[in-house]
Order: sequence, then structure tokens, then C-alpha cells
Amino acid sequence: MASEDGSGNPPGDAAAAAPVWNAAPAAGAGCGDLEEDLRFQCCVCLELLYKPVVIACGHMSCFWCVHNAMHIIRESHCAVCRQPYKHFPTICQLLHHLLIKLEPVEYKRREKEVLEDEKRVDTYSPQIIEFLNFKSNNCEIDGDNRPEESNNRPPQEVTSDGNTINEHLKKVKLEDVSCALCKELLYQPAVLNCGHVYCMSCLSSLDDGALKCQVCGGLHPGDFPNVCLDLDHFIEEYFPAEYDLRREKIQLLKGECNQGSSSGTSCTKKGRGRPTNKEKHQDDDLSDVHIGVGCDSCGMYPIRGKRYKCKDCTELIGFDLCEECYNTKSKLPGRFNQHHTPDHRMELDNSALFNRLMRLQGIHEEGPGEVLIEGAFVAPDAVVHIIADDHEEPEDNVEEDHLL
Amino acid sequence: MVDVSRVQKELTECNRDREVSGVSIALHDGSTISHLTGTIAGPLGTPYEGGTFVIDIRLPGGYPFEPPKMQFITKVWHPNISSQNGAICLDILKDQWSPALTLKTALLSLQALLSAPAPDDPQDAVVAQQYLRDYSTFSATARYWTEAFAKSSSTGMEEKVQKLVEMGFPEDMVRSILKSVNGDENMALEKLCSG
Repeated sequence: MASEDGSGNPPGDAAAAAPVWNAAPAAGAGCGDLEEDLRFQCCVCLELLYKPVVIACGHMSCFWCVHNAMHIIRESHCAVCRQPYKHFPTICQLLHHLLIKLEPVEYKRREKEVLEDEKRVDTYSPQIIEFLNFKSNNCEIDGDNRPEESNNRPPQEVTSDGNTINEHLKKVKLEDVSCALCKELLYQPAVLNCGHVYCMSCLSSLDDGALKCQVCGGLHPGDFPNVCLDLDHFIEEYFPAEYDLRREKIQLLKGECNQGSSSGTSCTKKGRGRPTNKEKHQDDDLSDVHIGVGCDSCGMYPIRGKRYKCKDCTELIGFDLCEECYNTKSKLPGRFNQHHTPDHRMELDNSALFNRLMRLQGIHEEGPGEVLIEGAFVAPDAVVHIIADDHEEPEDNVEEDHLL
Repeated sequence: MVDVSRVQKELTECNRDREVSGVSIALHDGSTISHLTGTIAGPLGTPYEGGTFVIDIRLPGGYPFEPPKMQFITKVWHPNISSQNGAICLDILKDQWSPALTLKTALLSLQALLSAPAPDDPQDAVVAQQYLRDYSTFSATARYWTEAFAKSSSTGMEEKVQKLVEMGFPEDMVRSILKSVNGDENMALEKLCSG
């Protein structure tokens, strides 16, 4: 058992051998500060959020924490509130840059830590370019930069322990937390699937049938987003005067309209972004599910229905599109920092669950694959369970990659 | 692989307020972080009050994306816990697990399960039947099991020995009889008097 832990996780190796009771501070210098300030703590890894992803319910986790928590066969559920969702959202760049400014030392440490893990599985999260004159909310992910090449970030203030408001005011500016539409301070921010952030009132004003991002043009699939309360509370604390002004102004506007759509916090409207023919699927019918394969454009995970696979992307994780994104020629970059370009050739991949299982059967050393097949014909739940058991093997990355 | 740094954080966090929460976690032995031992205090106002319950915790490789495997080591009389092997029937340890839950919250849920049994979804059918049909017997049995199995700490044992020796019984006899009745003071006294 000890060797299992050790072989699987090099960064934690030394710590695993050490007596755990007193080993907590070994994590790093910024750790002590973090434990006192749990505001932007990821609920899954219990560390500072790194490359935060905001789900439609308004809860957030690290990029990898969300991805690893997603169900590879069925719809996923938020770890906090259990609201179902089907799309892996893009990293919220506004929060990413906010955290760089708030916790420069700790965030840098997290970056190193995550990069180590990513190197181990040879699959990378999207690289986010930092501009010297960073304009929040308006920059796109550049999928063409390998993580190794990009360490040219702007000089940061290296003071993590000064937690006074004055110090903070130097770090975060009003424009760092402004709405992508009204360009004013965010009031009740909600994050779209593409990672761009709007005031809830601005999103509601976009009510023209489809929820389309005004920055990147991406259609928002799934449920209408809820307010991201963590971000909202931060802004309220950080810019109390400005936040109050915004509140007054928006409530005034609402009063004029006389139909304040109940401030959005309890919003349960169904997604209006995409046609919902896919949602009609019986959850038990797994015949068209591409296990563990996600759409690199809209983030649908797993892909249901037709799947288009890139023939030219060499990355381990591959590059795949769902039928709709293939047809709409979406320009969003891949979810995992792939070097995909428009001239790559895409092919229709018909190997949904059934074919995939048949293929797995042919591979001798994949013991669990065979169990998986038997389970699939008995009961769908059995599949889930057996796959979960697979992860006990230290080689579970290999396992997943194989499935991909 | 188990997320080592998260488990370490959880241990620190959980043991920080162990006095207040009544739950704590320790490594089972020093060699691996994927085998732990949890303890919970029996909730006040229940037949489990005053007991300390030990739980075996094994972390699967996918933790925290898969639930921890928990099982009572201490014998306990409860509709949702097997009286034979300590297996637990609790949804959050199965399909309702979420990576946002922690070992501490899971142990607290077990503590809550002790105060609020769900006999309609039993793990131990015999106990559940008894709970539904004859609550007073259930309650007495649960209390007896708590006395017998969840309180036999060594310090408590010494006090009991001393008490009985002071009554005039020979120490080695007291010890052997106390051991034979799993530390139950009243039963030991009965035996000593009758014997």
C-alpha cells in the first residue's frame, strides 16, 4: 500500500513517509495564510483555487478538480449543491487573474504543483497568457502555448502576508472585476460556460432566445447560470462603497422596469442556449455515450451522439467535437491546451459505448476492461461501480487514457 | 492515487477541534495514509451516549472522487450498522458521496446516524425489526452494547477494578471476571457475589 501511494504521487512522496500529525506546514510557505483565509479555497482539493472553473450553479473548483469529479458516463453533479450539469466549463479568466493578484506567492506555488502533476500524465490544462496591461474578461485563451514555454509573467508584488485592505486595494482594481457587458463593477456576477463573467442583470437583458456570450460569441449550454456567490461576496467586501452604488442603481432600474426578475439567485430556468434535443435522451440508454470523451468546444462531457475526432492532434487526450460544435465550426480552443488548428482533419468516430467495449475486450492486459463489459450488460450501475474500483490501481491514468 | 496533501489537511483540520466535534482521525499505522482509524463520541441523549466508537477507514485510490470505505470496529447495536461486522448503510458513503465532503463530515454523518436511525433502510434486519416492534428492548440492548463494547477503555477498567477491590474482592478474580463480561461493572458484581 505504501508503495502505491509513493509511486503514484511524487510531490506527496516525502510527506507520505513523514508522520502526518505534524506534517501540515510542509506544504509550503503560503499555507498558513491560506488556512486563515478560506475564501477562495477549492472545496475538492482544499487548496487555493487554481485555474478556477465556475459551474452553472455558481459553485467553483480548480480546473482539474472539476474535470476529475465529472462522471465519465452520465451527467455530473455539483460537489457542493448536487445540481446536475453536463458541460465542463472553460476556466474563468477573471477569477484566475484576480487570484494571481490576491495571492501571488501561493498561486505560483499551486501553478508549479499542478504543472508537476500535468507533466506526469502528459496532459495539460489550457495555458492562459498574462498581459502587462491586463484587461479583465476580454482576453482569450491561447491554445498554442505549451506550459513549459510561458514563464514570462509580469513582475508581481511578492507580499503574501500583508492582508490589510490598503494593500489589497493596490492589488485589485475596479476594472479587474468588471462586467463584460456593462463594463461596470460586477453586481451579482454569473459566469457563462465560456468563462466570461456578467452581472446577473446584464445576462437577463440578453434574453433573446439564446444565451450568447458577448465577448467570445459562444452559446451557453445547459442551465441558466446562478450568481457566483463567492465572487459576489468578495466584491461586496472589497469595494463596499462602489458595490452599494451598483446595487442602488440596479434596483432603481428594476423598479422602473417593474418586473425585477427576482434577482436571479433562485434561477432555475432551463438553458436557452442550445436546442435541447440531446436532453431527451433516456439516461439509461448508454448506446450513444462516448465514455470519458468530452467536446473540446462546448465542454459536453461525455459526448452523446455523434463524435468528431481530430486525426492530426497528437496530444494524448486528443481533440474531439460534438456534432453541434462540429457543424457550427466553433472557434473556441481545446479544453486541454491541444495544438488544434482549423486545417486539422476531423473524422466521425462511431465507437460509442458498445464498440468501445468490444475494442476493450480485445486488449489482453486490461483486466478491468473485461469486467466492464460484463457489467455493462447486467446493469448500468454496475459499470459505474466497477470503473470506480479501477481507480484503485496506481495505473489509473493509463486506464483513463486508454479509454480516451 | 490518493490525494495525500488533501488527506493531510483533513487530518489537521479534523483534529483541531476534536474536543468540540467529538470526532477524530488517526493513521491506522504509520506506513500508509490510505488506512486510517476514526473515532466518534456517542451522541448525548441516545443509547450510545458515553461510548467511544472506533471506525476503520480505508481510502480508495480515487479518493476524494470516490467515497472512503468505513466500517465500525466497535460493536454497535443499530438498525443501519451490521451487528456482525460493522458494515454501514449510509448513502453518502455510497452513491451520494461528493468530493466536497470530507472524512470529518462523513464521521459527523455517522454520529448523526447514531442519533437518527433509519430502520426503513436497514443494514441489520434483526436490529431494525426490534427497533420498529419493541423500541424499549432495542434501546436497552443498544445501551448494553455501548456499555460492554464502547466503554472498555483501560483507564475506565482500572477504576472499576479499584472500586470492586475496595468492596473486598480479590484483585485477580475481579480482573478475570471483569474481562469475561467485557468490562460491565454491574454484571461483574453480580458474578462476584454469586460466585
